[in-house]
Amino acid sequence: MQYDLVAVLVFMVVGVALLAFILALSRLLQPRDPNPAKLTTYECGEQPVGPAWIQFNIRFYVMALVFVIFDVEVVFLFPWAVVFQKLGLFAFVEMMVFLGILLVGLAYVWRNGDIEWVKPLPGPAALEDEKGAR
Amino acid sequence: MTGYAQLDLAASVGQILPELVATAAFLLAVVVDLVSRRRKEAVCAVVLAGCIAGLVLSLAQLKAGQSLIFAGMAAADPLAAILKAVVFLATGLVALFSLGSPEIRMSGRGEYYSLLLVVAVGACFMASAMNFVMVYLATELVTVTSCILVAHAKDDRRASEAALKYILFGAAASGVMIYGISLLYGATGTLSLTGVSRALVSGQVPGLVAVLGVVFVLAGIGYKIAAVPFHFWCPDVYEGAPTPITAFLSIVPEAAGFGLLIRVYMLGFGERMGQGWAAAASLDWPSLLAVVSALTMTLGNLGALHQTNLKRLMAYSSIAHAGYILMGFVALSKTGLNAMIIYIIVYLFMNLGVFAVLIGLSRRLASDQIASFRGLGGRAKFPAFAMTVFLFSLTGIPPLAGFTGKFYLFAAVIDAKIYWLAIVGALNSVVSLYYYVRIIKAMYIEAGETEGGPIQLPALYTALLVALVVPTVVLGIFWGPLAGMTEASLRFLF
Repeated sequence: MQYDLVAVLVFMVVGVALLAFILALSRLLQPRDPNPAKLTTYECGEQPVGPAWIQFNIRFYVMALVFVIFDVEVVFLFPWAVVFQKLGLFAFVEMMVFLGILLVGLAYVWRNGDIEWVKPLPGPAALEDEKGAR
Repeated sequence: MTGYAQLDLAASVGQILPELVATAAFLLAVVVDLVSRRRKEAVCAVVLAGCIAGLVLSLAQLKAGQSLIFAGMAAADPLAAILKAVVFLATGLVALFSLGSPEIRMSGRGEYYSLLLVVAVGACFMASAMNFVMVYLATELVTVTSCILVAHAKDDRRASEAALKYILFGAAASGVMIYGISLLYGATGTLSLTGVSRALVSGQVPGLVAVLGVVFVLAGIGYKIAAVPFHFWCPDVYEGAPTPITAFLSIVPEAAGFGLLIRVYMLGFGERMGQGWAAAASLDWPSLLAVVSALTMTLGNLGALHQTNLKRLMAYSSIAHAGYILMGFVALSKTGLNAMIIYIIVYLFMNLGVFAVLIGLSRRLASDQIASFRGLGGRAKFPAFAMTVFLFSLTGIPPLAGFTGKFYLFAAVIDAKIYWLAIVGALNSVVSLYYYVRIIKAMYIEAGETEGGPIQLPALYTALLVALVVPTVVLGIFWGPLAGMTEASLRFLF
């Protein structure tokens, strides 16, 4: 069994060696002519504004999470739609159940004010907790 | 593994009715929570209905035979059915416990009740997983959701600490587990438990890979059942979590974890030998588990000796009980597995009972410290009596249910001729008597403050206590039907 792992070892060594080789080669061959425009951060062609290490609003986080869910939903919907004719009723019902579950999730974030930029004031339940805490 | 009929996709749906109903109840609970902002009892009612429906449907599956569903991802068999029933029963009881608990906040109460059902569904899939992908997914579903429940009191530092510890330990344990799974997949080319078993038996898997895979998978399962050395999260999480959630964690993930252990180790890493089971290939995991079992009960019991906080004490006690239950698995026999299932069911009643007393009295007790139980025997007669019954049952004193469970466990171990483990178990039971009786002593012998006068338990908790005391006593005297049912549920394996 020792010999089985030799392949892994060879793979690791070759991997490291190849990387070192390519970096060294590019170092040797590349023309080095930096200017300020080349050294700027790449932001899809836009002029970068300010440093990247600033405090982001925490609301971005919730928005991003909600976005990811619906992003994944679309990823599932595409292949399903392509072969929809072949799959028949079962797949249709299955996808509707999936969408229904996500819809409940959307209703949840909506009702809790998580997709509004300015979050509404805490509801009566939270106020009651505060009263209890005092 | 013979005897499993493969069902197609449409037929498979019919085999997960308990999970489907629970999921539907969860979605309904979320909607009800959104519609009614103030009356969260409605959400609890939906969750309870889901649990009752799940319980009934699971019990209906007991006699349904055995089949592989969803292309071999999960199994529908009597073992899964009985564990699902345990999960739904415990979840329903915990939902009831929570109704009057001051620790459950108003904000997030809807989420609290509905997430109980999600953990239950995850636990059901843990108990029926037949493929390592399913094993991992179900375990994660339970871990992540339980974590949110532990952190229910957002502004409580201890709860946040507990949740953080729980998730970090969980992440480490499941990371190790999935690494083990990847090793097994690399060596066998399959993720199905029975496929891995076949590959191990045929001897095509290099010894080191097999050993690492089998041991690493134990990390994930050991974390769920709080077995040594994966138990470190247990005391802190039990102490920091809201008490109903502590009760929940002591039963639901544990029962599902033991189901997973039976499935993964027997069907995945074992092979059928005549009437019984043996470890596949040259791996001696039964001996490893025997050592884990002995360590778990010993460390659990020794850890409990010096606890002054009841919730921490119950954490160590549940570690110790995980060790006892593991003892039944080590025997790898029908009697051993039967003893495990019986003990899990008995443990449900007596352990939830202790927590029911704690939650019911929590408005009147100064703290979770054992000291605040002083003099309770005179002030709250029925709760103190119930507590005494549960604690004696946890010790394993006849004629209570705990004795029945322990009797079956020890019988199985002795039957398998693992005498040293039986001796360790017996010694541990003696040790456990000390710390359980300390609570009883505080209640009846030590003088406490009496100025509060008699304590009236809310009617809900009186009813719950009666509902838990009765099985704890009855199963100690008349356990035939229960043992018959559990034995029938395991017949397909032997």
